[in-house]
Amino acid sequence: MLGFLTARQAGLDDPLRLRRAESTRRVLSLTLNPDREVDRIHGNGINTIDIEVVEGRYMLSGGADGVIVIYDLENYSGKLHYTCKSVCTVGRSNRYVHKFSVETVQWYPYDTGMFVSSSFDKTMKVWDTETLKPAEVFEFEGNVYSHHLSPIARKHSLIAVGTKDPKIHLCDLKSGSRIQVLQGHRAEILSVRWSPRYEHILATASADSKVKVWDVRRASGCLFSLDQHNGDKSKAASEAVNTAHNGRVNGLCFTGDGLYLLTTGTDDRMRLWNSATGENTLVNYGKVSNGNRKKLQFAVSRGCGPEFVFVPCESSVAVYAVHTGELVSTLRGHYNNVDCCELHPDYQVPTSQFGSAARSSTLEVKTVTSWRGFLSFAPQMWRTSQKVQIRLPGPRLQ
Amino acid sequence: MNRKRALISDTFKVKKRRNGTQKFGAVSDGDGPTDIRSTLEYLATLFPRKLFNDSLPQIVLKHQLYSIHDDKTLVDKELNKLREQGELLMFQLGFDADAFGLVFAADYKSKVLAGEDGRATRATVERFLAKLLSPCTELSFSKDKMLKEFLFTDSEITQLVKSGVLTVRDAGSWWLSIPNSGKFTKYFIQGRKAVLGMVKKSKYSEVLKAELEERRTTSHVKFHMKYHIHDIVGAELVESIPTTSGTLLRFVDS
Repeated sequence: MLGFLTARQAGLDDPLRLRRAESTRRVLSLTLNPDREVDRIHGNGINTIDIEVVEGRYMLSGGADGVIVIYDLENYSGKLHYTCKSVCTVGRSNRYVHKFSVETVQWYPYDTGMFVSSSFDKTMKVWDTETLKPAEVFEFEGNVYSHHLSPIARKHSLIAVGTKDPKIHLCDLKSGSRIQVLQGHRAEILSVRWSPRYEHILATASADSKVKVWDVRRASGCLFSLDQHNGDKSKAASEAVNTAHNGRVNGLCFTGDGLYLLTTGTDDRMRLWNSATGENTLVNYGKVSNGNRKKLQFAVSRGCGPEFVFVPCESSVAVYAVHTGELVSTLRGHYNNVDCCELHPDYQVPTSQFGSAARSSTLEVKTVTSWRGFLSFAPQMWRTSQKVQIRLPGPRLQ
Repeated sequence: MNRKRALISDTFKVKKRRNGTQKFGAVSDGDGPTDIRSTLEYLATLFPRKLFNDSLPQIVLKHQLYSIHDDKTLVDKELNKLREQGELLMFQLGFDADAFGLVFAADYKSKVLAGEDGRATRATVERFLAKLLSPCTELSFSKDKMLKEFLFTDSEITQLVKSGVLTVRDAGSWWLSIPNSGKFTKYFIQGRKAVLGMVKKSKYSEVLKAELEERRTTSHVKFHMKYHIHDIVGAELVESIPTTSGTLLRFVDS
């Protein structure tokens, strides 16, 4: 590492090289940080988290009890041991709180003035962070499993929503309309994701074992459907032809550059696809256990040497190298099933939040050094929690 | 040292070795291009030929290779290469969507023809085998393909099914299969269940690999213990943990 620093200093190396080397080193040496804790607000499980893109300072979390909490991840106290406080909450006493569990939360990609949450009470609410009142409420006919706002969109402000219906609704933030519908799937849509490379490309995963990639400007059907056998009809049983997985597909994540797409399914497999052609790259990750009936939120690192994918696997987070498929490490620390993980862009601190049936939801941050944060959350089963203790590892000052 | 050549991953090799966990009891294999073939040959020796009176070729399961080599993607790539060269054949065994059986093409041909000796269907089977080893990397065939590409008639297809080379997949398509492999599948599933049961019933559901190999097998386990161990480790039905006393196999609750 000193070699990299000297080379950077002398101008022999590109600055990007040092950054990449350092972020890879941090990811490879991730451990649970005992010094950071996160305020425990959620009584039950935490279903989803999101860190804002602009500063990486504020984190949203949505719980199984319908509560939404915003945390401040920065440590200004000067002390090593720090508890990340919650800035504000949309608690049960709020008039506009969701009635059932919140499934997805996402910050507005350009600033923290707004965030969108969707829940099993069949609504999606666009909240004003200042007043904590919903500026817009979209209602649907089925439970909303997932929604996503494009992080790079300039020409449109569409929110893609996946519900129990086999249709994908596109809701427009600017006009409040929700006329556009994408048809093609045959069962509930478990996950939707916009491409981080092209603002009109959307990928959707459904319980009918298919993953479809759409261009929202096109009026007729999807661009293509991902096929795990790459068109080789002889490999599969006849019902499994043209499917992405041999079970429900419940997790979708694009890599940072948008060139590849990772999908996870209840057949305990994770697959890497070329997002331009839909070809299965046939990287074999082995068994990636997945028992989720809802969507699985996982994260891919950005800017590391070999890219890493962090997938929640039962009560730990498994780290795989994206292109070779080898299991790099397993991050243990949660007491119960992990539901979602999110990577903080600047702090290589994986935070996992989980709610256990016996204990309460905890938010744990694993870190070695500050830089990239990683948050993983565990889904919680509906049980009355005992004392919830949230430990959020903060960046260790070295 | 040429700075330009230094890869980012090189920086981590030193760090990993210093701080990484020691590997106890685990033997790492150098992965060269010919190593997959030698692993296949080694696993084939574990297959019991006497049990089936030499009527079956030696079958190795694809996931048994995963238990020996670390990099699954590399194993897959090498297998595909061997299949494209026409030296290896892959079969969908039927009891699991992921369980694929591998047989050397020469073995397969000789056993099938030996089984067809004196039967009327021999000629059709010979023709089919010639087309198959041309080389063909498909696991199943649809009616279209059989009629047009391979130029077989309906009655000939029936003959192939009767001889066991094709098994019904659904209306109008067939899996490639090994004749008389029903007994193999039955004994294999029985043996797998018995071995998994042995691991599960042990204290803490874990047992040292060396100890498991030493154990007396019940009459349910007809194959060599090592064959079953490679199978359950490769299929990730048990976790393989390196310890100071050797490799430990722990049952995975799923």
